Amino acid sequence: MASKFWTQGGSDTEEESSDYDSENEDLNQIDDAAQTAGNRYLTVNASDSDDSDTQKRVVRSAKDKRFEEMLVTVDQMKNAMKINDWVSLQESFDKINKQLEKVMRVMESDKAPTVYIKALVMLEDFLAEAMANKDAKKKMSSSNAKALNSMKQKLKKNNKQYEELINKYREHPESEEEPEDEEEEEDEETDDSEIEDPTKLDISDQEGVSEADEPDGQESGWMRQMTKKDNLLAKQFRDPKEATWEKVNKWFKEVVAARGKKGTGRYEQVEQLTFLSQVAKTPAQKVEILFSVISAQFDVNPGLSGHMPISVWKKCVQNMHVVLDILMQYSNILVNDSVEPDENESEKGPEYTGTIRIWGNLVAFLERIDVEFFKSLQCIDPHTREYVERLRDEPLFLVLAQNVQGYLERSGDLRAASKVALRRVELIYYKPQEVYDAMKKLAEQSADNEEGTGEESKVPDEGRAPTMFIVTPELVPRKPTFPENSRTLMDTLVSLIYKNGDERTKARAMLCDIYHHALFDEFSTSRDLLLMSHLQENVQLMDISTQILFNRAMAQLGLCAFRVGLIAEGHGCLSELYSGGRVRELLAQGISQSRYHEKTPEQERLERRRQMPYHMHINLELLEAVQLICAMLLEVPNMAANTHDVKRKVISKNFCRLLEVSERQTFTGPPENVRDHVMAATRALTKGDHESAFNAIKSLDAWKLLKDKDSVLEMIRANIKEEALRTYLFTYSSSYDSLSLDELTKMFDLSEVQVRSLVSKMMVKEELHASWDQPTRSIVFHEIEHTRLQALAFQFTDKLSILTDSNERALEARIGGGGLELPVRRRENQDYVGATGGAGRWPDGGPSFNQGRQGSSEGRSGYGGGRASGMSQGGGYARDRSGQARGGGYSSQVSRGSQMDGSGRMVSLNRGHRA
Amino acid sequence: MVAAVRSFLQVASTEEAAPPLRVVQIEGLAVLKIIKHCKEFSPALVTGQLLGLDVGSVLEVTNCFPYPIREADDEIEAEGADYQLEMMRCLREVNVDNNTVGWYQSTLLGSYQRVELIETFMNYQENIRRSVCIIYDPSRSNQGVLALKALKLSDSFMDLYRNNNFTGEKLREKNLSWVDIFEEIPIKVSNSALISAFMTELEADSPVTQCDYDRLQLSSGPFVERNMEFLIECMDDLFVEQQKFQYHYRNLSRQQAQQQAWLQKRRTENMARKAAGEEPLPEEDPSNPIFKPIPEPSRLESFLVTNQIANYCNQINGVSGQSFSRLYLMKALHED
Repeated sequence: MASKFWTQGGSDTEEESSDYDSENEDLNQIDDAAQTAGNRYLTVNASDSDDSDTQKRVVRSAKDKRFEEMLVTVDQMKNAMKINDWVSLQESFDKINKQLEKVMRVMESDKAPTVYIKALVMLEDFLAEAMANKDAKKKMSSSNAKALNSMKQKLKKNNKQYEELINKYREHPESEEEPEDEEEEEDEETDDSEIEDPTKLDISDQEGVSEADEPDGQESGWMRQMTKKDNLLAKQFRDPKEATWEKVNKWFKEVVAARGKKGTGRYEQVEQLTFLSQVAKTPAQKVEILFSVISAQFDVNPGLSGHMPISVWKKCVQNMHVVLDILMQYSNILVNDSVEPDENESEKGPEYTGTIRIWGNLVAFLERIDVEFFKSLQCIDPHTREYVERLRDEPLFLVLAQNVQGYLERSGDLRAASKVALRRVELIYYKPQEVYDAMKKLAEQSADNEEGTGEESKVPDEGRAPTMFIVTPELVPRKPTFPENSRTLMDTLVSLIYKNGDERTKARAMLCDIYHHALFDEFSTSRDLLLMSHLQENVQLMDISTQILFNRAMAQLGLCAFRVGLIAEGHGCLSELYSGGRVRELLAQGISQSRYHEKTPEQERLERRRQMPYHMHINLELLEAVQLICAMLLEVPNMAANTHDVKRKVISKNFCRLLEVSERQTFTGPPENVRDHVMAATRALTKGDHESAFNAIKSLDAWKLLKDKDSVLEMIRANIKEEALRTYLFTYSSSYDSLSLDELTKMFDLSEVQVRSLVSKMMVKEELHASWDQPTRSIVFHEIEHTRLQALAFQFTDKLSILTDSNERALEARIGGGGLELPVRRRENQDYVGATGGAGRWPDGGPSFNQGRQGSSEGRSGYGGGRASGMSQGGGYARDRSGQARGGGYSSQVSRGSQMDGSGRMVSLNRGHRA
Repeated sequence: MVAAVRSFLQVASTEEAAPPLRVVQIEGLAVLKIIKHCKEFSPALVTGQLLGLDVGSVLEVTNCFPYPIREADDEIEAEGADYQLEMMRCLREVNVDNNTVGWYQSTLLGSYQRVELIETFMNYQENIRRSVCIIYDPSRSNQGVLALKALKLSDSFMDLYRNNNFTGEKLREKNLSWVDIFEEIPIKVSNSALISAFMTELEADSPVTQCDYDRLQLSSGPFVERNMEFLIECMDDLFVEQQKFQYHYRNLSRQQAQQQAWLQKRRTENMARKAAGEEPLPEEDPSNPIFKPIPEPSRLESFLVTNQIANYCNQINGVSGQSFSRLYLMKALHED
């Protein structure tokens, strides 16, 4: 086939031929037909390799280039021969061998080009000459002689492969193009037959609708790369009337058997199978062959990392549609992958009424198509137009999924249908209403267009393809139907899954559902779903992609909580994500580089494969802003309340760390990133300056990503005011004897009622030792200082409770005999003791007597400064414990916080105060 | 001379094996000497030797002498022993009882129940069958109490201690609890008639003494606080002890699990061997490390700590009880 590209004009002057630049890949077969001239140019070019005029060339095809390179190498060889330099000759020889491989590949021929053969002959002659000349050989330098010897051996070995060609060349040194010409003619013949054969033309006319208006280089590329076998096939069925079921079946078996074998072109196989599907005799056979086509199309891309070519993907979707059409039309055909069907099951024609079993798995195909779509989005650079184009294909898939699901539901395979439904859910759950509407519009538009073009192209189709045996009307809709609201769509799909899906499908659907609810600001609904499903407890046991989905749902839930003004809940959802500094990794939105822990390439590849496509990303800047603001609103009053307490409970470790870093800076510039902004706000808030705090927050860029930015900002402002008041009271109450209510309302721009309720709340919780003085409308502060004895007594009760606690456990261990669970629980409790009890310093296991004593005395001295708050310590301890028993760490925190909305808040604040 | 002492001791021991020690009779002179010595060095803890006679069920303490403040050094300790011998020799020369019957020591808020005390006791016990330790607490005496205590180790405890096995099992066997480590012996202060007469002569006309004033001291805060601190320390110690036990039990259960697994394996192996007609392997394998018993940690320390805690609690109870009475008294006075 290569000859086609060398035939233009059939000229014998190099200049012309080298200017030949129309070597683009979309040459049509019709063009080919016109070019029947022999390939004389090739030899001319080979014999005279003067490359002085290469500079003029602007555009060259790959083939040209390779040839050029080869000629240059031959030249080098000639030069080396002249000066008798065997070392460089040897190098050149290696080089030319490498180039030969490339040339062969590009030219798709299995025959070495004449240039190469000529060079070999030349080399052989020269070698013989050199060997004969003993004197010269003796004179050679040692390296040269060595090279000569190795050259001799190499050449001998190498030439064996081309013995025949070399001999031929020796016989007719000038007319060695003859055999090639013959070959060419053969090819040409088949080419011609191709054109004559009408069946051959509409190889892809089934899908021609979309393909015709898609000038895709690759596609037509492999259209032309048909091997002879293909042509033979075409010849075989030149007269489609002659084709019988047996014949088709035989060919089909043969082609399928070649799958995966070495030397079987993947594209060719797709082609052959597609052709076969055209000539299939019975619907069942057609389905069978189409399944193979789809499998072969999946095979086109061999690697795991790359994605399927988009055009192939589209054809694949089309094929699936055709399969569905047939299955719709002939409802007696059953597709199943569990039973090995009878050999000749597909022989039964359309008039056969019994069930026909065909091996295949629609769901698996559909899932694979989805995976390929996902992969392509992962691979394509999201900032290009290509990405957007690719995204437009989403409705295509959705239609297919819808159809498959419909088919499966009708056939009663609800479990499989729910799997398909999950695929649909996973394409929809992350879309806000606006995006959903846009997609809907796009789908409707493109469907309209397609219909229009479809009508046009159908007419010639039918004229051109009278040989189609199994004409399948387009029974399944090619146009997606979307309900008005994405919520309704989600609801129908998700309820189907909940009813019929397996565990994993249900869990994933649940997570998508949670995400979707959160996206629509329905915090309580999604929170309830999360709590009812108990996903938090067992998500650790699930696969990584589900865990990522869980993280995404949590992140979205946090954002949702923030939008509706539930700061504590929002923080609860998000703090875990940010605790390790691996938020990118957790959300699969980029690969985080770890300094300490080098990843293996294998791990990295896996991680790359898990990445979310760009359009599904949750904006990290917004997420970070929300997380930090939540942390700020909770942590700043907490810090102010417990400034002197060494063992105070930290609400957000991440936030505290950032604050420490920013406090260490000698000079703080104007805020640049999200962190700087929040830190600036924090600095203002610690002084109770709510206005500058709000301004710092407001100037963040991320807010423009929010739908109802104004109301959210208003919410933030209100929260900042309240927390500023609390912080102010915590920090400066000791400097006041009394504070008037009016003053406070003025300072913090809050209503009297708000101030009153906030301050009263603080008094009730014993955070603020003060009382209202109604007549003067002011707060009177009490100075409360514990005596040393009281402080000691508190400490003592603390120790006692720890001791009794551990005593109980020891007793349990003794009585229970120490089962397997026991150590686990014990450890958990110990952690807990370390975290909350005053005795965090107790070394675990076999500590020395002295250590314990030292630790305790340190603790005591630290204690003197702190102010403990009454017997609530003991009580708080017990309460905490019960809370802890409910579940591990994070999950229990969230569940607690949300289960008792009002009281949950109190508990957590109380804890903060106590610690 | 030494031989004579020994023979006397031997006589005493054979003679008085039967009646147990009921009371410690202490001379006023000795008491005063002890108080003086302890009080002078007050925050530091001091010790001294008790001299006297062992008469039937009564141990008479007639004299004592202080040890110089020791530093923990072998050389100086040897010097201390020399000093002790020399002192006794001198006292004998002036015809004072030079028969060692025990030692006295000062303490701080009754924190004396330590292993060292028991070790010293055992040392004494080797030579002198009946020895007592008199403990004087200067800080408590400030509140108008004569905080003098005579202690000895109980016999059953000494048995256990000699064999050095304070495992739970042995303790249960002996029915020994933490209360039974020390025995407190009542102290009777006696003076010769002459001295009593002289004292009566000396007695002032005023009905109250300095001691009575001390008793009325209202501030009990520091004392209770110190006690609390010590209590907290004790809690820490106890916790450490408890940790040791937990650790031990964890190890024990792990070992048992291992043993079970091993036995299981061995049994199945034996079954296989039996089936193959071979001699079964023994089910006990003493060489196997998993059958080595894990030593149980000693309970002595926790017993002592418990004693200590009981002591502190008693003190706090006592002091606060008295304080209440005082406060009521003061209240009544104010009202008047």
